[in-house]
Amino acid sequence: MASKGNLTLKSCNGKEFIVEEKVAVMSTTIKNMVDVDDSFAQGVIPIIGVDGKILAKLIEYCKEHAEADEDEEVKSEEYLKKFDEKFVDELNLNDLYDLLKASNYLEITKLLNLLCQKVASMIKGKKPEEIRRIFNIKNDFTPEEEEEINRQNPWAF
Amino acid sequence: MDDDLRGDLISDLPQSIIETILTKLPIKDAIRTSTLSRKWRYKWTTITDLVFNDKCASSYYDRPNSENNLVNFITHLLFLHDGPIHKFALSTSFLQSSPDIDQWLLFLSRKGTKELSIELGEGEWFRAPSCLFMYSKLTHLELVRCELDPPPHFKGFLCLKYLNLQQVLMPPDDIENLISSCPLLESLTLSYFDSLELTLCAPNLKYLSLEGEFLDICLENTPRLATVSVAMYMTDDIAEHFEHSSSCNIDKFLGGVPCLERLVGQIYFTKYLSVGMDRGINRIKYDRLKIVELYQVNFEDLNEVLAVLHVIVSSPNLKELQISGSSNTSAALLASDLGIWEKECSKDYMFDQLKTVKITEVSGILHEMGFIKFLLVHSPVLKEMTIIPSAYVTDGRLNMLVNLVRYRRASAQAEVIFVQEQL
Repeated sequence: MASKGNLTLKSCNGKEFIVEEKVAVMSTTIKNMVDVDDSFAQGVIPIIGVDGKILAKLIEYCKEHAEADEDEEVKSEEYLKKFDEKFVDELNLNDLYDLLKASNYLEITKLLNLLCQKVASMIKGKKPEEIRRIFNIKNDFTPEEEEEINRQNPWAF
Repeated sequence: MDDDLRGDLISDLPQSIIETILTKLPIKDAIRTSTLSRKWRYKWTTITDLVFNDKCASSYYDRPNSENNLVNFITHLLFLHDGPIHKFALSTSFLQSSPDIDQWLLFLSRKGTKELSIELGEGEWFRAPSCLFMYSKLTHLELVRCELDPPPHFKGFLCLKYLNLQQVLMPPDDIENLISSCPLLESLTLSYFDSLELTLCAPNLKYLSLEGEFLDICLENTPRLATVSVAMYMTDDIAEHFEHSSSCNIDKFLGGVPCLERLVGQIYFTKYLSVGMDRGINRIKYDRLKIVELYQVNFEDLNEVLAVLHVIVSSPNLKELQISGSSNTSAALLASDLGIWEKECSKDYMFDQLKTVKITEVSGILHEMGFIKFLLVHSPVLKEMTIIPSAYVTDGRLNMLVNLVRYRRASAQAEVIFVQEQL
């Protein structure tokens, strides 16, 4: 059991992480759980649908940002920006999707925004073929449909 | 696991995530995702934030075409859009007043729009249609170069928190009414209003930024105001108006802002504050004021010096001070009233929190040096004082240094940095 001020988070594959409460409540979902029901603060909080690897990543991110929120002078904005850049650059696509879903479910707004920005930067300015290749999207339009889209949308292209 | 084995995962992300991603793209890129696959065809149509600029009109064409392109683009997009539109921002030099804009605004007024921002090109000013005043959910309004004329039955924007009006033509009474009929207003920016007499009643206002020629500014009911930034211009007419004025500007402007945390004044702001110094009764303390920046202070004018002194001496928790002199003063000045520094320096007043001071455009005139001496004597925790002489003063620099070296410093930690620009 976690000592006072700490919370225990359990991933869907059974890994437990003891984290400081201020780190855990970066997640609005966890914050609401702890606020509403005191037993969560004592026991183990199951994080449904998030495995140990992704949960560890989430905690790594929240730790940096929770500490920065507490004391601006220790971790400057610049430091955080660099941390964020490195954090998203090191992700492969699978982790990126899993983190997107996990940060959405856990309502870690800052991280969700960061990840969405990362995906947007992968799409921005690219041709459809390139975007399909990057994200493994299959072009399932029939030639007729494709022609229709091109006919309807000259205003946008 | 290999990326390829898991296949296309992005297309099945929750729609809310997809929308957030699309919102972070330039709007053209967002619409182009409709050609990726069947799943993507209509994903963009429910994004709630729409931001348009000149880049939305192809730049290959000449100007009249750009105008048409942009109008076509926005009209088509709104026609295909599905659901609420929370934010609509249009910033373009291509468009001026046009019936299309009026129609978009009417359309948006039925879409629950909360944030509206419109900046059009120079030329014929855009006259805001009356439907603008029916946006009941508006929290954020930004208008540049337009005419505003609230209808007589207008009841105010009850949710508005942020208002930014630049170069907006509007009768002065209407501005005051507009502001006082937005009870939740937290941030107000007014730029380029001429000869405006403004009395502000905004009980929730936290941020205020003003720029232009103001005859009078009275902060009457602004108990929560924390940040104030003012750039004030002055014509001869206004200067004359002040000469005949019988009021104390410091009372009017700073009498009702007990929560002030940051004050920034530019151009003639300090001069404005100094009008009627001797008639003042304002003796409130600004316990939360931490940062004061006053630019273009005329140290030849004793009233301005007194106004600066009044502000900082009333701020026991001041941490950062930045002052610039006005660069056109000549160093050869016969200053009278130097006695104030002897008087001020002998007081046992202390700036217990003041750590950083920066004084720029220093020309070395007596009141300026007196002011620096005063700060050094009364700042026991001062860490850094940066002094940058005016570029016009070359001969007097050695003199400044000689004086600086001599001044007593209450703080043993204080570093005095004299910066000479590279010639």
